[in-house]
Amino acid sequence: MISRPIVALSGVAKSYSSFIALDTTDLSLGEGEFVTLLGPSGCGKTTTLRLIGGFELADRGRIEIAGEDVTAKPPYRRPVNTVFQEYALFPHMTVAENIGYGLSVKANNVPAAERRRRVTEALAMVGLEEMGMRRTAELSGGQRQRVAMARAIVRRPRVLLLDEPLSALDVKLREGMQMELKRLHRELGITFLMVTHDQQEALALSDRIVVMNRGRIVQIGSPAELYDAPTTPYVADFIGTSNLVPVRSVGSDGQFDHLLMADGTRLRRRRRPGDRVFPNGQSVLAGIRPERLLTSDGGEVNRLAGRIVEALFQGDRVRIEIALAGGYERRSIFANVTRTASTASGAIEPGTEISLQVDPFDIMLFAAEDGQ
Amino acid sequence: MTKRLRVTTLARLGTCALALLAMLPQAAPASAGELNILTWEGYATPDFIPKFEESSGCKVTASYVGSNDDFAAKLAAGGGVYDIITPSLDTVPMMRLGGFVEPINISKVEGFDGIYSEFSKHVDVTAEGKTWAVPLVWGSISLIYRPDKFATKPDSIAVLFDPANKGKISMWDDKSALYWTARYLGYDNIYDLTDEQLDAVKAKLIEQKPLIRKYWASAGELTELMANQEVYVSNAWNGLTSKDVNALKKGFEVVEFTPKEKAEGWMDSMMLVKGTPNEDCAYKFMSFMESPDGQCGLAKSTGYFPANPVAVASCMDEEMKKERQVGNIDFVKSLVMWQQPKRLDKYLEVWNAVKVAP
Amino acid sequence: MSVQRRQRFGAFAALFSVPFLWALVFMIVPYLVMISVSFWTRQFPLFVPDFQFGNFVQIFSDPQYTTVILRTLKIAALVTLGALALGYPLAYFLVFTVRSEGLRNLLYMSVIVPLWVSYLLRAYTWKIILGTDGAVNSLLRMVGLIDEPLTVFLYNQTSMVITLVYIFVPFMVMPLFAVLSNIPKALIEASEDLGVGPFMTFWKVVFPLSLGGVVAGATMTFCLSFGDFVAPVLVGGPDGTMVANLLQSQFGAALNWPLGSALATLVLVLVLAVLQVSSRMDRAGRVGLG
Repeated sequence: MISRPIVALSGVAKSYSSFIALDTTDLSLGEGEFVTLLGPSGCGKTTTLRLIGGFELADRGRIEIAGEDVTAKPPYRRPVNTVFQEYALFPHMTVAENIGYGLSVKANNVPAAERRRRVTEALAMVGLEEMGMRRTAELSGGQRQRVAMARAIVRRPRVLLLDEPLSALDVKLREGMQMELKRLHRELGITFLMVTHDQQEALALSDRIVVMNRGRIVQIGSPAELYDAPTTPYVADFIGTSNLVPVRSVGSDGQFDHLLMADGTRLRRRRRPGDRVFPNGQSVLAGIRPERLLTSDGGEVNRLAGRIVEALFQGDRVRIEIALAGGYERRSIFANVTRTASTASGAIEPGTEISLQVDPFDIMLFAAEDGQ
Repeated sequence: MTKRLRVTTLARLGTCALALLAMLPQAAPASAGELNILTWEGYATPDFIPKFEESSGCKVTASYVGSNDDFAAKLAAGGGVYDIITPSLDTVPMMRLGGFVEPINISKVEGFDGIYSEFSKHVDVTAEGKTWAVPLVWGSISLIYRPDKFATKPDSIAVLFDPANKGKISMWDDKSALYWTARYLGYDNIYDLTDEQLDAVKAKLIEQKPLIRKYWASAGELTELMANQEVYVSNAWNGLTSKDVNALKKGFEVVEFTPKEKAEGWMDSMMLVKGTPNEDCAYKFMSFMESPDGQCGLAKSTGYFPANPVAVASCMDEEMKKERQVGNIDFVKSLVMWQQPKRLDKYLEVWNAVKVAP
Repeated sequence: MSVQRRQRFGAFAALFSVPFLWALVFMIVPYLVMISVSFWTRQFPLFVPDFQFGNFVQIFSDPQYTTVILRTLKIAALVTLGALALGYPLAYFLVFTVRSEGLRNLLYMSVIVPLWVSYLLRAYTWKIILGTDGAVNSLLRMVGLIDEPLTVFLYNQTSMVITLVYIFVPFMVMPLFAVLSNIPKALIEASEDLGVGPFMTFWKVVFPLSLGGVVAGATMTFCLSFGDFVAPVLVGGPDGTMVANLLQSQFGAALNWPLGSALATLVLVLVLAVLQVSSRMDRAGRVGLG
């Protein structure tokens, strides 16, 4: 897929005694990409990052960085740098010493003048020009984050690894730092590989997202691809949220899949190229995002009827929990409807009957055995 | 007002603390009917002491010293804990001069007349026209060596100063090292050395230091040094170390010998601590110790020689009498008896200077 | 004083009066007594109250005292260095090399457990190990390195240093273990990530961050060995007298309490000076971790 990857993992696996942290995995990162490893804790995303950084050694497989086999190399012989989760700033050094650390040690042999220039440059890049002489203990969380960034980029790595870089910051600061990360990525032009469990962060920053679960890669794609065409119910629900409704496949006519709900309602789904064809009568899962459920305009196509269980006011929208009619007693679905529309259709209150509609383009279809 | 209050409170607190502190050493004061004796290990054993307790109604509690220097140190700490002490002859004057003891009323000590007059009339025992100590037991200090490690039998103190024995010599960690060295150098005024003589003794001892493996501090330590083959020759308390080492059957023997410069003699005696509330019991105890039960009991438990030949006449067989030099007044005379050095401080200072010399 | 403050003072006084009294009676008062006795005069056979500086003059003018003080400082310094050389790698190994926590705690306990065994017994053991008939000589003879037993292992300053290092090394390991355990592993990873190898990472990151433990351990080891009097008696040779032995003989054999008190006062001043220096070093080197 990527002609000349900067990072290439082939057949890499890692386990700790009986726990498989990373099952046999292939992954390639392109030059200049911003890639995010996304998944819940224990999914293998941090292990993957640490294997690339060299902090863990793979049990099997091969890791290449910039065309060089680094599988067995220690961290200090790899052309990557890392922004650590809690920043890992050296508490006994000033900000400038922290940033210059990787240049100051003899083996790296950067002349003093050059070193000073690069430290100043890195400080400027993260907007901490005046902070060089400060002790790290005197800095705020956001400032520490910037120092960690500056320290990691000052050695001009081919790949920058970021381990949950924003998780220690509060919400307001986090949004600002997201912009900052995006800007840095653009200015530096190098590959960023970031680990996060925050899908919003992943969607906002990444060129590509690698969704992981239980030590495996589940799906790789651009944020839009993952959002629009998840290949599994897991991804559908992890990237954004999805209502997953068990239905029965009742045929396909090339343009549409025909689905039958438990209460007898028929649904039409617009097929995309390459979509799987399910045999007649097979149980499948229909995935519908809450924001794609619209209050019915009276049409008969793709109409779902139910009763409002709960309605939550969310400013511009209302989030409604709906109990579907017939056969879905223990299952509710959620819909986010805009307020103008809801106002037009009358009161949205618990107990009220409601009918919703979904566009044939907005139904996703998964094999039931893919599970959640 | 507040300030003054605080000051007086503090002062009161300080006084309380001082009072408390002053009370501490008196935690176990001497009391009537209970005799506290500060003595050497083996001098108050259950072999013979219960007899005294039954006949007198006085209960004996013994504490032990490791050296003669402990007597003054413990008594100087105050508190009136002890009734009787048993220092060696060279420490007897110090006890008197330090004001730690009272003169003895010899009419209250039964059997006093039986003691060797060489001891009971010794100049340090009878100072200021009074009697200060009741002689108890005596012995000699000579040399012991490993015959298997010497080509010829040594006959002089010189063996302790011979570079050929480097690293195999030990000496008692005691001011008596000065006496031995002075005698080796041929001085006969060993308890009243002049400054030049003391300088010569000090120089000799410092010269000897590289030859010394270890100064021994207790009979047990010397036994260990000999048994573990750390040293081959040393001065030693006669009758004790050689017997203990040979009893271990290490595959070699150690032998005592008297050098041509003579052996040293020591004598331990009982002294009455000043202000004891148990004078009656104390005199009863001294009388007991001069009786056949006391003298033979002590001789048997220690291996030393009884100071009262009259008392042991009935309780020792002939062989033991011979071994314990009973009636052998010539042997007493052949010894260089210990005395307190005229200038004790100076001697201690010299010995300390020797020990700390590099 | 308001009622509330008075009440608070009352509670404060009640809480701290016992330890304060304890310190007063058993520490401060004895120190004051000791310092005042140091100005008394020795007068055969005992000593008399006085106020003069003769004892201190004697200590500083008579070379025998300076010799012993210098020797004691030397031995204490050697013991400290030895304990550091032995204790640091040990603590480092426990914290960074041993991966299993159970094994680490077991090993750490095995370092600390000897503290429960009598000091005398442990010192005595070295006599058995180092002696002419001892374990070291037996081993050397068994492997055929020597024919005759060597006497260089026991009854000299080397054997004192060995014994004291063994006895006090737990006091070095404990603070080092604590301080090394507190260094986040991420800092070491960060250093290696920045292209710095393990050796320089140790010197630039781990060691500077462990200085607090080094200072604490060195202070304890130094002060404990400076005041030791058992090792000279048990395994020291004729040249092994240390300050504490000198003190003992002044209070015992020589019955010169004034001189002994003067010496003890000097020792107290030296130890306080060491503590002062170490607390300054500690403050200078202290950095917030985490």
